[in-house]
Amino acid sequence: MISSVLARFGKKVETSQDESYYTAGQLALIKARFTRKASGVIAGWVLVSIILMGFFAPFFSPIDPTIRGADAEYRRGAPQAFFFWDEQGASLRPFTYTYTKDKPKINLRALLGSGGLDALDAFTSSGALSASAQNKYNVDRGQRRYVQFFVKGWEYSLIDFSMAGLDLDLRWDRHLFGVEQGDIHLMGTDEDGKDVFSRTLHAVWVTVSIAIVALIVKLFSSLLVGGVSGYFGGRVDAVLMSFTEAVRVIPSIPVYLACAVALSSMDLTAVQRYFAIAVVIGALDFATLGRRLRTHILTERNQDYVLAAQLCGSSGWRIIWRHLIPSFTSYIIVDTLINFPYVILAETSLSFLGLGLTEPVNSLGVLLQKAQDPDIQQNMIWQFFPVLVFVILIMAFVFVGDALRDAADPYSEKK
Amino acid sequence: MIADFFTNTWLLWILLSVAGLLFWRSRSSQYFHYVLNRYLLALMTLLIVSGIVFSLMEVLPGDCAEKYIAYKSTQGEMITQADIAAERSRMGLDRSLIVRWSSWITDLTLKGDLGFSCAKRQSVNIALGDRFWMSFGFCIAGLVFAYVIAVPFGILSAYMINKPWLDTNPQHNQKQRWINSIGLSFNKLLDLKLRIISYLGLALPNFLLALSIILLYVFAGEPVPTGLFSDQWSAEPWFGVNGFQYAKLTDFLSHIWLPIFVIGWAATALQLQTVRALVVDESNKLYVDAARARGVHGMSLWVGYPVRHSISPLFNSIGFDFQRVFNDLPIVAVVIGLTDSAALLIEALAMTNDQEMAAAILFLVALVVISMNFITDIVLAAVDPRVRKSVLG
Repeated sequence: MISSVLARFGKKVETSQDESYYTAGQLALIKARFTRKASGVIAGWVLVSIILMGFFAPFFSPIDPTIRGADAEYRRGAPQAFFFWDEQGASLRPFTYTYTKDKPKINLRALLGSGGLDALDAFTSSGALSASAQNKYNVDRGQRRYVQFFVKGWEYSLIDFSMAGLDLDLRWDRHLFGVEQGDIHLMGTDEDGKDVFSRTLHAVWVTVSIAIVALIVKLFSSLLVGGVSGYFGGRVDAVLMSFTEAVRVIPSIPVYLACAVALSSMDLTAVQRYFAIAVVIGALDFATLGRRLRTHILTERNQDYVLAAQLCGSSGWRIIWRHLIPSFTSYIIVDTLINFPYVILAETSLSFLGLGLTEPVNSLGVLLQKAQDPDIQQNMIWQFFPVLVFVILIMAFVFVGDALRDAADPYSEKK
Repeated sequence: MIADFFTNTWLLWILLSVAGLLFWRSRSSQYFHYVLNRYLLALMTLLIVSGIVFSLMEVLPGDCAEKYIAYKSTQGEMITQADIAAERSRMGLDRSLIVRWSSWITDLTLKGDLGFSCAKRQSVNIALGDRFWMSFGFCIAGLVFAYVIAVPFGILSAYMINKPWLDTNPQHNQKQRWINSIGLSFNKLLDLKLRIISYLGLALPNFLLALSIILLYVFAGEPVPTGLFSDQWSAEPWFGVNGFQYAKLTDFLSHIWLPIFVIGWAATALQLQTVRALVVDESNKLYVDAARARGVHGMSLWVGYPVRHSISPLFNSIGFDFQRVFNDLPIVAVVIGLTDSAALLIEALAMTNDQEMAAAILFLVALVVISMNFITDIVLAAVDPRVRKSVLG
C-alpha cells in the first residue's frame, strides 16, 4: 500500500539524505517509514500508554481489584466523578463528594412476626428488592473529599521475578491517586463492590500477556512447520503442507472451544489454566504463517549463501536458524504485531462463552462477558467501561499493525 | 437386493463416476487433467480433515456409553462399571481410534451417513436436518452483504488514495475547479468515513456488536428481534389456509437482518481492506502506466486494467471468507438466540459433549470450504488466462 505521505518521504530522500538512505538497515528503514505516518504514531502512543498502565496496574489503580478491596458499603455503585470547582468555590486539588447508599430496609422480623403471605406480597411490591432501588445512592455535596496523589494503600509487588527463579520481588504500597477518607470509584463498582476501573486496568495486562504467550507459541509452531517443510522439501513438504491445508479449512473458534472444554474438565489452577489457554490458542494457529515461511525458505534455500554455509559444514538446523530465518525477521515481527488483535479476540471469545478464564480472574473477556447480563445493560451501564477500553486497545493495535505493514513493505515507496 | 446395495452405497458411486468422467476427459484435454488433479487433492484434504476433526473430538470428556448409562441411572437403575464396559463394547467404543475413524469414514463415503448423535439419540443426519442449510444461508447472505458493500467502496477507496482534497489543475477554469473540488472532498470524506467504519468492524467483536444492537432495542423499549420469528409466528406454518403467509415472511425478514448484519460487518471490514490493497497493488504495475501512455484514462483505464485484474484473487478467496464468517457464527448465535447448526455446534461442544455431532458439523463446514476452493480454482483456470498459463504450463 502506498500513501501520499510515504511518497513524499521517497522524494525527500532522493534529494537530501541519499547516502544514509542507501546504507540504512532494514529496521532503520521501517522505523523511518513508520514515523512518517501520523495515525500509526498516535495509535502507537495510545497503545504504549494503555499497556504500561496495564503492566503497572496496581500503581495506577486506587483500589485492590480482588474481593479483598471490595467496598461492601458501595455495591452496584455509580461512578464517582471528580471536580475542580462547584458552587462553593474552585480548588486546585480535584475533589469528589461523599457517596452513600441507603441500607436496604428489610424488616425480617416483621415478616417473621406476621408470617402471612400478605406481608411477603407487601414487601416484594414495595420495591425494596428491585434492581433500580438497589442502585440508588445519595450524594452529600457538602462533604468534599480531596484527591491525594501517591497515597499509601494496599501493598503490591511492582515487578515480580520470583516466577523466573530470581529472588527479586519489588514490593511497594504507593498508588497514583486516592482520596482522604474511603475509596474513590472512578468507574463505579460491580455487584460485589469491586472497583470497575481497577479491575479493567488489571484485566488489560492479563489479556495482553495471554496474547504475548500465545504469539510466542504460535511463532515457534509456525517456524517448526514452515522451516522443516521448506528446508527439506519433497515428501516431507508434501505431507506437512497437506496437513496445514486441512487445518486451514477448519474454523478455528470451534477447535479452541473443544480444547477449552477438554481443559475445563481437567483440574487446573487459575495460572495453569491461563497458560494452557494461551498455548492452545497459539499452537493451533500455525497454518498461515507456516505456509508463508515455507514459501520464503523454498525460494531462499537455493541462494548462494546457503550453499556456502553447507560447504562450510553447517548442519540443517543451523542453516535454518542462523541463515534462513534472520532473512525473514522483519516480516515475522510485523506479522506478529498484526496478529495481536486477533489473538486477543480469540481469548475474549472463549472467556465470553465462559470457557476461557472465569470470574475471579480479571481478564477483558471475563469483564466483557458481563455485558450480556440484562441487569447490567439496564441498571449498571458503567460496567461497559471495559468494553470501551477493549475497543480502544484493539483499534490501537489495528492502526499500529496497518502502519507497520505499510512501513515494512519495501515496495511501498517505489512511486 | 440390488436396489438395496445401491441405496447403501450411492455416494461412493457418485464420487467414482465423477472421477471416472474426469479421467476419461483428461486423456485428451490438459484442462481436465488439471481438474482431475484438483478433485483428487480435494478428496485427500477432506480425508485429512475428517481425521483431524475425529481425533480432536477424542479430547472432549466422556463418551457415548457413559452418557447413555448416566441417562439410565437417572431412570432409577443401579449402574456398575461392568455395565458401562458392556455398553461400550456394544457401541464399539472399545475399539481403537483408527478403527472407529475408518468405520465412520466408510459410512460417510458409502452413503453420506454422518454418524450417531448420543445426546439427541438419533442419526446426525436427522438431528442436523436443515439446520446446516440455515447456517449456510446465513453465511452466504453475510458474504453477499460484505461483497456488495466492500467491492465498490474498496475500489473507490483505492481510487481516492493519492487524490488531493482540492482540484488545483491549472488547465481547468475556475468553475470546473470548484465543481471538481466539491466532488473530490465528498469522495474523500466518504472514503475516510468508510475506513473508520471498517477499522471499527475489525475492532468490535461480533458478539459486542450484537449486544450493542440489542441494548439499543432495550433502551428504546422495543421488543428485541432475537431468534428467527416472533412468538406469534414461530408456530404458524408457511402455507396457511389462504395460501402463502406473507406476514410470516415479513416477520422473518424483520428478524433475519440482525444476524446477517452482525456477521456481515466484520467480513465487510476485512474485505474492504483487501479490495483496497489489491487494487492499489495492481494500479502500481507497469501495464497501467503503459495503458495511460497509450491515452486510456479516467474510468475506462481504472475499470479495464487494475480493477479487472484484482477480481480473480478476490474470487479465489471466497472459500476462506466463508470459513471466517462461519467461525464467528457460533458466538453470534448464542447472543442472538439462533437455532441453526452453529448454535448446535456450541451446544454439542460445550454442554452435551456430543462428539459425533460436533465432528459432523465441523466436517460439513470444511466440506463447503474445500468445495468452494475447488470450484473457484477450476473456474479461474477456465476463465483467467494468467491462471491458466501458470497451472497448465
